[in-house]
Amino acid sequence: MLDNYFPILVFVLVGLAFGCVPILLGWLIAPNRPDSEKLSAFECGFAPFEDARMKFDVRYYLIAILFILFDLEIAFLFPWAAIFKEIVNTEAVKMFGFVEMFVFIGILVVGYVYAWAKGALDWE
Amino acid sequence: MEFKTILFYLFSAITVVAALRVITARNPVHAALFLVLAFFNVAGLWMLLQAEFLALALIMVYVGAVMVLFLFVVMMLDINIERMRQGFWNNLPLGALVGLLMVGEMAVVLSGRYFGLANLPPQNMPANYSNTKELARLLYTDYAYPFEIASVILLVAIIAAVMLTLRGRKDNKAMHSSDQIAVKAKDRMRLVKMSPEVELPAVAAKEGE
Amino acid sequence: MEAIVLPFVEGLLGPLWPAVKPVWPLVWTLVKIVLILSPLLLSVAYLTFWERKVIGWMQVRIGPNRVGPWGLLQPIADGLKLFFKEVLFPTAADKKLFVLGPVMAIAPALAAWAVIPFSPGWVLANVDAGVLYLLAISSVGVYGIIVAGWASNSKYPFFGAMRASAQMISYEVSMGLGLITVLMVSNSLNLTEIVGAQSKGQFAGWGLGVFSWNWLPLLPMFAVYLISGVAETNRAPFDVVEGESEIVAGHMVEYSGMAFAMFFLAEYANMILISAMTSIFFLGGWLSPFGFLQQIPLVGVAFSNGFHWMAFKMAAILFFFLWIRATFPRYRYDQIMRLGWKVFVPLTLVWILVVGVWMMTPLTIWK
Repeated sequence: MLDNYFPILVFVLVGLAFGCVPILLGWLIAPNRPDSEKLSAFECGFAPFEDARMKFDVRYYLIAILFILFDLEIAFLFPWAAIFKEIVNTEAVKMFGFVEMFVFIGILVVGYVYAWAKGALDWE
Repeated sequence: MEFKTILFYLFSAITVVAALRVITARNPVHAALFLVLAFFNVAGLWMLLQAEFLALALIMVYVGAVMVLFLFVVMMLDINIERMRQGFWNNLPLGALVGLLMVGEMAVVLSGRYFGLANLPPQNMPANYSNTKELARLLYTDYAYPFEIASVILLVAIIAAVMLTLRGRKDNKAMHSSDQIAVKAKDRMRLVKMSPEVELPAVAAKEGE
Repeated sequence: MEAIVLPFVEGLLGPLWPAVKPVWPLVWTLVKIVLILSPLLLSVAYLTFWERKVIGWMQVRIGPNRVGPWGLLQPIADGLKLFFKEVLFPTAADKKLFVLGPVMAIAPALAAWAVIPFSPGWVLANVDAGVLYLLAISSVGVYGIIVAGWASNSKYPFFGAMRASAQMISYEVSMGLGLITVLMVSNSLNLTEIVGAQSKGQFAGWGLGVFSWNWLPLLPMFAVYLISGVAETNRAPFDVVEGESEIVAGHMVEYSGMAFAMFFLAEYANMILISAMTSIFFLGGWLSPFGFLQQIPLVGVAFSNGFHWMAFKMAAILFFFLWIRATFPRYRYDQIMRLGWKVFVPLTLVWILVVGVWMMTPLTIWK
């Protein structure tokens, strides 16, 4: 099984190298004549004012938290979906395997409906 | 030395260095990104243990989701590092205690062979062996009950997250397109029945007599 | 293929072979990676050209036609130009992370190709958890944008990065949930087996494979996946991330030269990746739509299964990407988020239930 993952490791390293090398080459080959105007932050021609890093609407955090929870749900659903056919074809566990997952999804739908009703999914 | 062993030492060395940088980096964003690096290498270590599903789920959930939230937070709440450093000595005893506890637990786990915990020899699985399906067969039969409890925990987390972070804004002038479409003439306009206010001409009044 | 090449290499190297032998798997893997990457990069280059041509025609223009015959050398000229452009590092930027941004954008966009099968057996790493790997690696792509936006220390990149990351994670949910039904009917996480599962069924038996693929029984999921794919790659009409009229170029504002080119490459490589994934999950990958036409002499060969079908399907999906870019006006941000969270998520959950019940009843078409 691990032999299968060796090419992936190599590919990830090649991908990283592919990102770095052209930037390095571009930096070496291309002309480099910086001045203060070129190096200042772009703000449509105005001189930049204030720190660019500012506080953001709390909705973004909320979306990120909801994403974590749904991602976990997906992580739980994946193995189940991968053996669902086996579950269906085994008479003994057929109903159990089906109901079990829909109880799981049902409980999460309660949370989803709650978030919706509270307006957590609204963007104004 | 076998290639796998080299990889193991490489992954663990990077993990340790990255983990150290997480707590020593001055910039919280750098610290969070070092944590991402540490997660990648831990995923590599799990892969070496042939825990395919866990390794990929670690990247999907922790790197793809949890660390994105971490980055959102450290990037956008200007954390005052100087003020955070002030409480260092006061919090040290508690921190040290937690650290000691963790070291103790790790020692128990790592010396598992001595305590008789680890008695499964690592096997080299065939290429078509599906770690995920094997996990699923266990999770959805023997561990169905804890699995359902996990969904309740996720539910609690959703409700807590919404409760804690959701604040309606007062100054918002958003339009709700659904409300706009659903609007009816009745809601906007009131039709009033009135008796005519113009006086009838006097001539007509006379003829009527 | 290795069996053909190996004796040749052995003969070529002669006495040097024992020295090369220990690293041979690495060399062979690298050769295969180059064989995947070079057509991919060529496709990326010509996708940009095709995009400009197609949108030009749709707007009754000619499109690029100056460099080379019919403008065919245009992407090469663009690439060379970018190579000789100055790479700037803004004073206010965090230099290390500023370089890390484009690298984190391009690396996952390329590394994801490791598990994509092009035709039976033609895959670099035939791993069992291929779908999981794709989901994991594509969730890493968001880092390129966040890191770039923050490291630039400038307002437009920061806004763009925030919008992009929230949009990408929202649509990752609907993509992930949409794939659950595909896994349910294929009984596997392996991409080759997912395509294999689509070659079975009543219609496939009659040589009408096109009706046995997942897109028909999972039609809502196909739509969700395709639209989420457009949103995931931040393409029009979901391109508020780089909405020129609002935030200039989003997270890429401060980048120039090759550093910018990396973001550009990553975006188009991701588009091609999404088209490959969609054709594998829903359109039967390399399977022929009209297998019965193989009976026809001479022309029939074109209707056998093979890579050409995969390429054709990918091209069709890519054309769809360009088409909607030329057709639809840009979505508003709150509409994008509403579509992801309030339309797609309920739809996918309902369809999981529908497919679940369908498979439980005797009416199931997935025996």
